[in-house]
Amino acid sequence: MNAADAPAKPVHYKLRLFVTGTTARSTRAIENMKQICEENLEGRYDLEVIDVYANPEATKELQVIATPTLVKILPEPLRRIIGDLSDREKVLAGLNVLPLR
Amino acid sequence: MKAVAQPDMARFDDVQSGASETLAELRLRLREAEETLDAIRNGEVDAVVVGGVSGQQVYTLENADRPYRVLIEQMQEGAVTLARDGTLLYCNQRFATLIGVEREQLMGHLIFDRVASDDIAVFEGLLAQADGAGRTSELLLVQHDGDHVPVNVSAVDLRVDERMPHLICCIITDLTHSRRRSHELSAANTQLAREIEERRRAEESLDVALDAAGMGSWDLDLETNIVRRSRRYGQIFGEIEQGDHAGVEMLLAPFIAEDRPTVAAAFAVAQRSGSIEFEKRILRNEDRAVRWVHVKGRTQYANERPVRISGVVSDVTERRLVQQQLHQAQKMEAIGQLTGGMAHDFNNLLMVIGGNIDLLENRLGQDSRSVRYLAAARQGVERGATLNQQLLAFARRQDLDVQAVCVDELLATFGGLVRRAVGEAVTVKVKAPAERWLCKTDPHQFETAILNLAINARDAMPDGGSLTLSTEQRVVDAHVAALHGVVAGSYVVAVVTDTGVGIAAEALGRVFEPFFTTKDVGKGTGLGLSQVYGFAKQSGGFVVVESEIGTGTSFQIYLPATEEASIAPAVRKEKPQVRGYGVVLVVEDDENVREVTCELLRGLGYDVLEADSARAALTVVRRGERIDLVFSDVIMPGGMSGLDLARQLKACKRNLPVLLSSGYTAQQFGLHEAIEGVELLRKPYSLSALSNAVERLTHRT
Repeated sequence: MNAADAPAKPVHYKLRLFVTGTTARSTRAIENMKQICEENLEGRYDLEVIDVYANPEATKELQVIATPTLVKILPEPLRRIIGDLSDREKVLAGLNVLPLR
Repeated sequence: MKAVAQPDMARFDDVQSGASETLAELRLRLREAEETLDAIRNGEVDAVVVGGVSGQQVYTLENADRPYRVLIEQMQEGAVTLARDGTLLYCNQRFATLIGVEREQLMGHLIFDRVASDDIAVFEGLLAQADGAGRTSELLLVQHDGDHVPVNVSAVDLRVDERMPHLICCIITDLTHSRRRSHELSAANTQLAREIEERRRAEESLDVALDAAGMGSWDLDLETNIVRRSRRYGQIFGEIEQGDHAGVEMLLAPFIAEDRPTVAAAFAVAQRSGSIEFEKRILRNEDRAVRWVHVKGRTQYANERPVRISGVVSDVTERRLVQQQLHQAQKMEAIGQLTGGMAHDFNNLLMVIGGNIDLLENRLGQDSRSVRYLAAARQGVERGATLNQQLLAFARRQDLDVQAVCVDELLATFGGLVRRAVGEAVTVKVKAPAERWLCKTDPHQFETAILNLAINARDAMPDGGSLTLSTEQRVVDAHVAALHGVVAGSYVVAVVTDTGVGIAAEALGRVFEPFFTTKDVGKGTGLGLSQVYGFAKQSGGFVVVESEIGTGTSFQIYLPATEEASIAPAVRKEKPQVRGYGVVLVVEDDENVREVTCELLRGLGYDVLEADSARAALTVVRRGERIDLVFSDVIMPGGMSGLDLARQLKACKRNLPVLLSSGYTAQQFGLHEAIEGVELLRKPYSLSALSNAVERLTHRT
């Protein structure tokens, strides 16, 4: 059912990226994520970047245990991808998005 | 759920597919967990988040917080972390530099070593507050060399873990620079305040000084055309409203129409010339009085362009009035000098004529024609002498027989005389005052003055009218007294008022001048009012004249009041000419007078010696010949007067009598103080007067 519906109705992505301040890795993660979204999910995503220094409690709800971590909240299932998101294939797979043809 | 109720093949399939889905999900989650572990193991994360009883804790991994460290090290504030007891756990380089000590020597030591002793309590307060809120204090830190440095300490608590529950993070800001700036600023402020105060005081004292001088100030801004005027300015111009008003027109408005173009021109010229000064008339706002104002100012320039004219203004009406009075007084004084000198010479001429008539009379026969001619000639001499007396009266060189006189009694006694003088067409009223006032004057001269005024009034009322004589007592204040050159005090004022044609304003200032007359030629001498003026002046008083064309004129003679009554001296009875004997030394510089005098004396039976000066007379006296009387003129050239001669003779020849002769007054020479044995014979004198005086003095022993 899902497979049949998917091409017809574009899926909206709700993403949340947890970082630690302005560390090099966190900065890289933000940059990478931004690029992937622009290239593959243009117009159909919300991306929140959360600094765990500023808001440590935000990690609890999504059971984030390390940063940087990208969490795909929607569409289900919930998926967590850890690291600086430099492995694009792995990120796209995790998001269940077909890579650019 | 259905499947549980009815297990069948389809249900098995369902179970199978559910199981496989769960398995796939579990696989995914496992992979995710493995990936997370791999990432942590491979160091691909910056921080791990650990849940705990006190909330989520973020543990930063190695080097992850380097940018913060760089920031902390780079910033221009000192950054310090402290334990609760004040042990310095960390400080940045900036803090070490501020204190002037290596970081290694600071960390692990108590911060209090670096706090000024007076501020330790303050710092302890910063550490003690542990409610998590930020707080700041300003205090002094001690540098390595012992100097104090002012800082702002901003502290905040940081909870680390149970073992170290309170870490205190401080940001320390060096206030030296801002303190210096604020010191400079406050010094500049103080300086400015002082300058403002000085300026204000200068302005205040300027205002006080201007006010004391009765000066108003004004300021015309040429660019905005705004005029600023001081309070006193408003008072001078009689303006009710005050403040700033626009326009040079506002400055010009009060000036009378006749003067306004000149004033406007003066302001226009001032823009080029750089200064302004004029004395013009204004119409004072409150009472529409015409006042003279003196305006003086200066133009200020900016880049050679006139930007403002400012200056002062004062009311000079009084000053001009005083000046006018002074000019008048000076003019009268000059005329008096001239008149007096002329009268002196004139007297000598009359003396020669009269003396020679007397001599002729003795030689000529007593035929009726000769007697008539001589009488006519003598009458001419007497008329000349009367005129001369009036001239001398104006010149204030007549003899005044001053007594304490009740003016009202005098007025009453010669009321009849006045009535006769003015004729029937004029009604004479004599107003009697309630009190009886005494003043010091010569009753005969006073009578003459009143008669002169009465005659003047009569001539002003050709068609009749009324003449009122009255007296008042008035107090003359210092101001008025100074105007008239008299002493302030109580005065008796004799007022003569007519209802005549009045005197024109331009003539009013000249009425007292000798020979000034508006009457037809031959009708008046022009000496009547001069006598009034001279008499009043000589009595220590003055005359005020008020007149209005068509309404009448009022003359007020002010005479000093007195309390004491005095007894009039007994009038000496004059005998007809008497002959005598003895030697008389005649001292007279005028040869003609001397000649006639000697001749007269010889005719009376005296031997005569002559001298043409006081010095020559002294020489004669020293020769030791018999001299019974020295008869000398008073005014003589050669630096020695008849009076000097009399005094010298008194010193060496006490018993030698001296008879002085002059057309001038006895008072003028101070003779009323009397040198013993010295008498004065007024020129021109008659033969009988001469004979009486000489006989009296030569035969007194």
